[in-house]
Amino acid sequence: MAEPKLLTIADGVQLVAVQTDTFKTCRIGVQIALPLSGDIAAKAVLPYILRRSCRRYPDFTSLNGHLDMLYGATLGASVSKLGEAQMLKLSISSIDDRFVPDGESVAAQAAELLAQLLFEPKLENGTFALADVEQEKRLLLERMRSEDDDKRVYARRRCEEVMCQSEPFGKNRYGTADEIESLTPERVYAAWREALETAVIRFVLVTSGEADEVCALLKTQFSAVSRRVCDIRTQFVQTAGAVRYERETQPLMQGTLVMGFRCGMKDEYDMDPAVSVMADVFGGGTYSRLFSVVREKMSLCYFCAARLNRQKGVMLVFSGIETENEEKTREAILAQLREIQDGALTQETLETSVRSLCDTIRGYTDSPDVLCAWYGMQILNGTAKTPAQRISEIRAVTLPQVQSAAKAVTLDTVFMLAGTGEEHHD
Amino acid sequence: MTDKLYTDALLGESYREIRHPSGLTIRVLHKDGYKSSYALFATKYGSIDTRIAQADGSFRAIPEGTAHFLEHKLFESEDLDAFERFAKTGANANAFTSFDMTAYLFLCADRFSENLEILLDFVQSPYFTEETVRKEQGIIGQEIRMYRDSAEWEVEFNLLRALYHHHPVRIDIAGTEQTIAQISADLLYDCYRNFYDLHNMVLTVAGKATAEEVLAVADKMLKPASGKAAVREFVAEPPTPAQRTIEERMPVNVPQFALGYKEAIVSPERTEKDVLCADILLEAIAGRSSALFKRLLDEGLINTGFGAQYFHGFGYANCEFSGESADPFRAAEEIRKAVADVRKTGVDPAAFERARRKNYGRFVMQFNEVSSVAHALADSYFAGNDLFESARICRELTLGDVNARLGELLDDDTTALSVILPKDGKE
Repeated sequence: MAEPKLLTIADGVQLVAVQTDTFKTCRIGVQIALPLSGDIAAKAVLPYILRRSCRRYPDFTSLNGHLDMLYGATLGASVSKLGEAQMLKLSISSIDDRFVPDGESVAAQAAELLAQLLFEPKLENGTFALADVEQEKRLLLERMRSEDDDKRVYARRRCEEVMCQSEPFGKNRYGTADEIESLTPERVYAAWREALETAVIRFVLVTSGEADEVCALLKTQFSAVSRRVCDIRTQFVQTAGAVRYERETQPLMQGTLVMGFRCGMKDEYDMDPAVSVMADVFGGGTYSRLFSVVREKMSLCYFCAARLNRQKGVMLVFSGIETENEEKTREAILAQLREIQDGALTQETLETSVRSLCDTIRGYTDSPDVLCAWYGMQILNGTAKTPAQRISEIRAVTLPQVQSAAKAVTLDTVFMLAGTGEEHHD
Repeated sequence: MTDKLYTDALLGESYREIRHPSGLTIRVLHKDGYKSSYALFATKYGSIDTRIAQADGSFRAIPEGTAHFLEHKLFESEDLDAFERFAKTGANANAFTSFDMTAYLFLCADRFSENLEILLDFVQSPYFTEETVRKEQGIIGQEIRMYRDSAEWEVEFNLLRALYHHHPVRIDIAGTEQTIAQISADLLYDCYRNFYDLHNMVLTVAGKATAEEVLAVADKMLKPASGKAAVREFVAEPPTPAQRTIEERMPVNVPQFALGYKEAIVSPERTEKDVLCADILLEAIAGRSSALFKRLLDEGLINTGFGAQYFHGFGYANCEFSGESADPFRAAEEIRKAVADVRKTGVDPAAFERARRKNYGRFVMQFNEVSSVAHALADSYFAGNDLFESARICRELTLGDVNARLGELLDDDTTALSVILPKDGKE
């Protein structure tokens, strides 16, 4: 696999191209980063509007029929947060021409289609069609509500919301239900222009072919856009104040406890990568404190894990428990953290964690999806650091570094989604 | 020992299938240019195996959820448990139990042989005590409760309960808190002896590792087995469902539905061609480019999560249409009408070709990921097939094949509808 090429398409627009014949597919994705402010709902509906049709394939059915004929090319759209950036994503994967039974060229068509979706959407009277916008509004509202139906996801989102209520990060990445309901074609059109003209944009291409054609195609498209790149910054709160507590009860059999911590970071590079290793020994793999003690030794739960959000400097711990065990679990989780802070971590456990993290990262080059996510994550840094470079950084982490990263961690918010413990039925 | 090479030239992939003297079948698909390897050690023992064959040919019942319980407990041993051993190598290890399989697996970039040694060792070394069994009841109890709170899970299992009168596919994979309370260390040993014979198992590996590396570890670690594969009981089912509708209220915002058509079967397993024809048929009827999808979407009856799948295993087969809907009953009505129409007119040739191409492309795409390859190797082995069989059939499949299959499926008299509705007026 060749080293990635980092190419500039336009001001604030980059293409990361990875050339390899390891895979069966050609994959191209675009990440569009905008501040998590302004008309969040209009920006959130945008990737879904762009995914449903374009000038050439003007409705959902004809576009999807075209994808089927390209041997089931996949077209994905999503919205996420990266620190306090609202990330809009679109990606297409098709099988590589080498594997098409009738010798048809499929991969180039897929890359071209992504450009068409982005630059040549279906418009009516200079804006998006009302019927399309109305349907995507409904779908976005259902997507938002149905995500809350997954109680583990819901509890984590609520904890973040309470914890970061006075920071942009506390906002829902889809906007509010009211903001979505009031959306108009004009607002979505404005969001589209805002994205093309001001967003930090990164394309990632993983293919067996050369990147030249795709690069030229994108340069031509962007040459017609007048760019003024937006400024995206994330607010880091280093230390928690008094612990916030929020509790909600639903008729559920199991309770979900979520604890939100501040990691003492002043930016995403602060204590990196020691803070990643710290989160891993605390609640990452099966060797972590949370798995081996809270689950295995204490039998309190089926899952108990910690996840670091380095781009925001926060860490969430979550566990599915008997509601009556809330206090006991909370204490057990904090006790594990205190032990790491007090220096109970051994060199052996550190090595276990480093080995495991590095083993996972080494495998990143074995998946086009993971590679695209890896280079996509670096969009705001403007880098194209390889997995191998990350491995060297992690290997250099020392025990005192992990301990001081742990010492910087403070508990900010506890969110308890309490269950009534009863069977549902009707 | 036999050693056979299977190749699909167009796909550019080959794998070796080795029948090891110990009784185990091993399939290895080496991938050039990959850094990691994925190994899966699986037994044909899942949640549907609720009865053990006796020497006299009769069957003895075991508690629901035993296969899954055994999976959890096999990680333990007298000294270091399997997770602790994998921690020393850096591999990412896991296990799962499905309706018809229990599998133990790891993914690693470094130290493959060492990891494979741990995998083969711990799966062949059961260690159960009454104390550790009791401890696990708490953890699995929480796992069961977690699933019971998942509407997505409930809508599916309720459908299976509605479709099937007797077949154990209708019970929860992990059992219930009551059934797992009946599990003892002795019972686990019994089940282990019955289902973990190497003749009942398969080892599949995909990625950087080569067949030679795998065989070197296999020769060292595999303990010759007695030579018997477990016998499964074929539970005959009436052609019609046990109940036509099943509703449950849960604290959800968006109602969910699953509409199932039960297939009348006289033999326990489906051929690869039957499965492929069913998959393509359902894609043609309900895929994203279908007229049905468009109509349901435009009428606000589904969202983009809607889809159909052919769901089958030993002694059960059905076609399922499922998704979220503001009006699940009307969505189901519309689907039934569209299905009845297709049964009259046959599949539209253009829809067939789109579905066939999509199916082929998705088959090719799965070869990107070492995990999907290892899983596909195991699934096809237990189904008695060559991994590439499905691609070969797909390349040559005709509209006639799919229309012939349509006659055996999707009879409106066999439907059951499962619905999850919001609780307490929550919407």
